Amino acid sequence: MKQLIARSRMHLRRHKDFSKRIVFRSIGREPWLPPLTYQNKRRPVKRRAVFLACDHCDLSLAHCACRTGKPLLPYERHHLYYRPSEIFTSLNLVPSCIEMSGFMKASNFRLVIIAALVLCLTAPICGLPAVAEKQEPAVAQSPPQNPSGSQSPANEEFKFGKADLQLLDQVNLLDQRFEREGLVLENTATNAYLKRIGEILVPRGLQLEHVVWKFRALRDPVPNAFALPNGSVYVTTGLLALMDNESEVAAVLAHELTHVLRRHSYLENRNSRKKLLTLNVIELVGALTPISGVGAAVEIIAAISPFLIQAMIFGYSRELEKEADLKGVELMVNAEYPPEEMVQALKLLSNDIEGEQIRLFYNDHPALQDRIKYVTAYLGSNAIKVTAAMELNREKNAYFARAESIMRHDIQLAINAARFRSAFYVSQRLVEFRPNSSENVFWLAESYRTLGPRSPQLTDKELTNSAKKDAAKKREKRTPEEEERDLLAGEAGQQTWKTNQQKAEELYLRALQLDTPFPAAHRGLGMLYEKLGRRNEALSEYEKYLEVAPAAIDHERIQRRLEALRRS
Amino acid sequence: MRSGCRLINCAQLQLICIVWLFAAVAPNPARAQNLHPKITSKQVTIRNVVLLPAKVEIVRDSMKGPEGMAAESDALSARVSQLITEVLAAKHITALAMAPASAETDSQQKYTVADIQSRYDELLPKIAKKKKDVKQGRFSMGDEVLNLNLDKNADAIVFVRGHGQKLTSGKKTYVLLVGGKPAYLQLTIGIVDAHTGEVLVYTDSLTAGDATSPDPKRVRKGIEKSLKKLPGVS
Repeated sequence: MKQLIARSRMHLRRHKDFSKRIVFRSIGREPWLPPLTYQNKRRPVKRRAVFLACDHCDLSLAHCACRTGKPLLPYERHHLYYRPSEIFTSLNLVPSCIEMSGFMKASNFRLVIIAALVLCLTAPICGLPAVAEKQEPAVAQSPPQNPSGSQSPANEEFKFGKADLQLLDQVNLLDQRFEREGLVLENTATNAYLKRIGEILVPRGLQLEHVVWKFRALRDPVPNAFALPNGSVYVTTGLLALMDNESEVAAVLAHELTHVLRRHSYLENRNSRKKLLTLNVIELVGALTPISGVGAAVEIIAAISPFLIQAMIFGYSRELEKEADLKGVELMVNAEYPPEEMVQALKLLSNDIEGEQIRLFYNDHPALQDRIKYVTAYLGSNAIKVTAAMELNREKNAYFARAESIMRHDIQLAINAARFRSAFYVSQRLVEFRPNSSENVFWLAESYRTLGPRSPQLTDKELTNSAKKDAAKKREKRTPEEEERDLLAGEAGQQTWKTNQQKAEELYLRALQLDTPFPAAHRGLGMLYEKLGRRNEALSEYEKYLEVAPAAIDHERIQRRLEALRRS
Repeated sequence: MRSGCRLINCAQLQLICIVWLFAAVAPNPARAQNLHPKITSKQVTIRNVVLLPAKVEIVRDSMKGPEGMAAESDALSARVSQLITEVLAAKHITALAMAPASAETDSQQKYTVADIQSRYDELLPKIAKKKKDVKQGRFSMGDEVLNLNLDKNADAIVFVRGHGQKLTSGKKTYVLLVGGKPAYLQLTIGIVDAHTGEVLVYTDSLTAGDATSPDPKRVRKGIEKSLKKLPGVS
């Protein structure tokens, strides 16, 4: 054991650049090694030692890699991710070259410890707050102050008040409503998958008052995720369809989990209640004060206070969001997910497919670009992807295999919600993943058909903030049918329409070649031909559809279309 | 130090009283009733309808901001649906029940209803912006409504949306002194052709007062007025 630690120490000294993440590959478990004990957050943790090999060189070193009682590679991952500081802590090593925190330098490590001790002893006398025992993570930027002031992943000292319990009652009812109204995706496999990721992320043994963890998918094509303070975490199908791998979904869940763990909803509710009360009192005073002298000043304050208070509420909300991002990164590291995927997930979300991300004067969330910047800064050089391309592909394939059915479901939802470009984007990803799947080809055909005269991607001109604002105004006024009619009035629209319909026809026919009988492809072709005015072909395709799918949910709809065509 | 009463002059007090009295005593105004030309020309007669679950949201507005009333909102939604059924029955229009879903098709049925409801929710702001365009037959939900597989006799689908607020005593005093929205309930009723998806009727009604009170007289009156122009079955 001593020899092993000595070799590890040598090895770690060799890699002096500790800002880079070291990737270790498991090569076996040695049951004879005693469990290593180290201080994790608040309690000592025992972990069984395993042999690992560093990817930078072939030297093996002992490291605790699995949680007690769990399999060696619990998450089907072949690489284990640890911050250098954790490796040292777990091996009870304090090498001189490690940068333990943003301000702690290797050469004066002992000096800093002495200084910290002196500070701890003198703080009560000087009236300074006690220094937290926990060591800062080895990151390029020190984490920001969180609004509640604690470094723990959970806000365990939170005391419930009357307003908090009322909010809890409301969200419990909201949860039931989501289920009752068919908004929750009733897909056991998907919800079990989300639950598995969520449970990996939740700190072990943590019991929070009034929190029952539930991880579910919501049937909504808009990429979004949210957590209710009772522990219900929802991820929309639109977001699941955008992600590339499990780690990115874990990043989203880690962010949402932090909101629950740190009791953000309650804090935000308390904060907005206080501020709204202040606002109402100011307005009341303003209304009751005669307009003269001081009264005029009060009137002015009352007039501008709604904007100020609104900005303050949003400002607080943005702070909480930032905390959720950064604490989420820590949850990911603890759960052995590569933390740089948080940046990747945010980058995927910033892909504005529908031209909806309008910059406003103030918002309750920080802008996605800002979030990418501060999470990247927080992670330091770890934000750069170091996972091998081969493994990335494997992860992506595994994720797509799981998410394929959700993605198809999402395409249908996106088409229903007139989010045609999103539908196209997701179906294209599906076809890239499995080009010979008749269903994937069919959904791409559906996306092309429903795009109509719209271009599959927005141009740079359409992605400017002013163009997005104009488009949003038009969306409020025009129905999708009216939008199509307007676009078809122009030559460019007509050209795009022709191209899209042509591609749709090709793809429907290809889907039929790949899988016959494929009823939905006949229906799609029927609708396409009907729109193109090819009556006989439309009739034939509808007839085929009704013949092969007599019990389809839209049987009556197609029957009526068929009858109408026959009459025409 | 000046007392609170002296801060308001006599004219201001009179004005507040008049406004308050007007708001309290004024009859429930039934607002726009917009009918599709097919209804006005009696090309289509609505005999049987299917009511989709109403979505009425009500909040308790206090000095500390609005608070959700999820349980009360659910109860109110059910009550509004019941009142609409009664009002339609008075016009000899029958409200049919949704086809009972089997255990296997339960989630599929739920999804279809949810999709149609969200489709209506997307169309609703456009209708609300140009209500009068209903009279020109501008709005349609498309023939996807047929996916609901309703009773063969169903002529139309009724969508009900509403929102309102109830005031705490502190907020009531505040509204009286400073101004602001009193307790109200705004309901919108959309009647959509069950075969073509065309929006046949769109009405909205505004009822003053606490909608959660046990006596539904006011809400009923508001619904009656908002459906006044809808031709009944003779």
